[in-house]
Amino acid sequence: MFKGILYIFSFLALGEILVYLCNLPIAGNIVGMVAIFIALKLKLIKLNDVKPASDQFIKYMVLFFVPYGVGLMTFYDILKIHWLAIVVSTVASTILTLYITGIILQKFGKGE
Amino acid sequence: MSEIYQQPLFGIFITLSAFQLSQIIGRKWKFVLFNPVLLSVVSIICFLVIFEIDFEAYNIGGQYLGFLLGPTVVALGVLFYEKFEQIRENIMPFLSAVVIGGVMSIISVSTIAITLGASEPIIRSIAPKSVTTPIALEIAKMIGGVPYITAGIVIAVGIFGNAFGPVILRCLGIKNKNAIGAALGTAAHGIGTARALEEGKLPGAYGGLAMCINGLLTAIITPYIVNVVI
Repeated sequence: MFKGILYIFSFLALGEILVYLCNLPIAGNIVGMVAIFIALKLKLIKLNDVKPASDQFIKYMVLFFVPYGVGLMTFYDILKIHWLAIVVSTVASTILTLYITGIILQKFGKGE
Repeated sequence: MSEIYQQPLFGIFITLSAFQLSQIIGRKWKFVLFNPVLLSVVSIICFLVIFEIDFEAYNIGGQYLGFLLGPTVVALGVLFYEKFEQIRENIMPFLSAVVIGGVMSIISVSTIAITLGASEPIIRSIAPKSVTTPIALEIAKMIGGVPYITAGIVIAVGIFGNAFGPVILRCLGIKNKNAIGAALGTAAHGIGTARALEEGKLPGAYGGLAMCINGLLTAIITPYIVNVVI
């Protein structure tokens, strides 16, 4: 478990450093995600070493979003003025995006 | 009394308690609004407003939990590796679904907002609404949006997708779990992916990969689309 946590944080650090050095417009954690995938593919690290830790992080993913959600309370003032355009456009667009992505994969993909 | 709020323990403790309580309620009553994230967020906000505690005080502790999102996104890379072979046999339909969905997300949100008379800075701020916060913030800065508004919209879209996404998709006739996973990751980034994981590990991997691909795609094409639309 400890080894897995160390690996995950190492790849997160690697991602952040790459973003900083190369001035990428992407998040460091996304770069870390791609990097750990490549490392596993190239057998630089073993799945059994990281899996115990990665499964735990993934299991509690929703919990880690809660503080960001609470941060929405500071948006009250902006929403008060522009709420109609913002709410209608984002809700309608989100439903449309969900539907389009879902229907394409359901129609043309295989397997359940 | 206010010294208690200034401790990291306060934000962490109230978040863990609210989350545990929300999970119990969500399990007991199967109802869309009793979604763990939605319920936790709403109950914590109510608590803070009633006791007149600032978000900043809450976030002294809250940020520690929020920080763990970074390693969690890296952990998704491990999940992709595990599910890679299964996703590969679906790769073309999957990629087309994410790319078309991602492009439609930017086009639809900006055209609807324009029709409703939103100002230009608002449109530039909400255009990258479907991608994960750190990427969306960079895009907003790049195209002249207000990062602060972007951050709020992105989180709100994520919670919306997490709470209502699967119900909406099933009502619209999308029953395939992998399709639901990919749709949640494309439209509602990490918070949607978290919900996709509840549908199963493979839908979760689809969601996470969709989030990643749409994040990269949106970072590249948003400036062009917004300039055409506005």
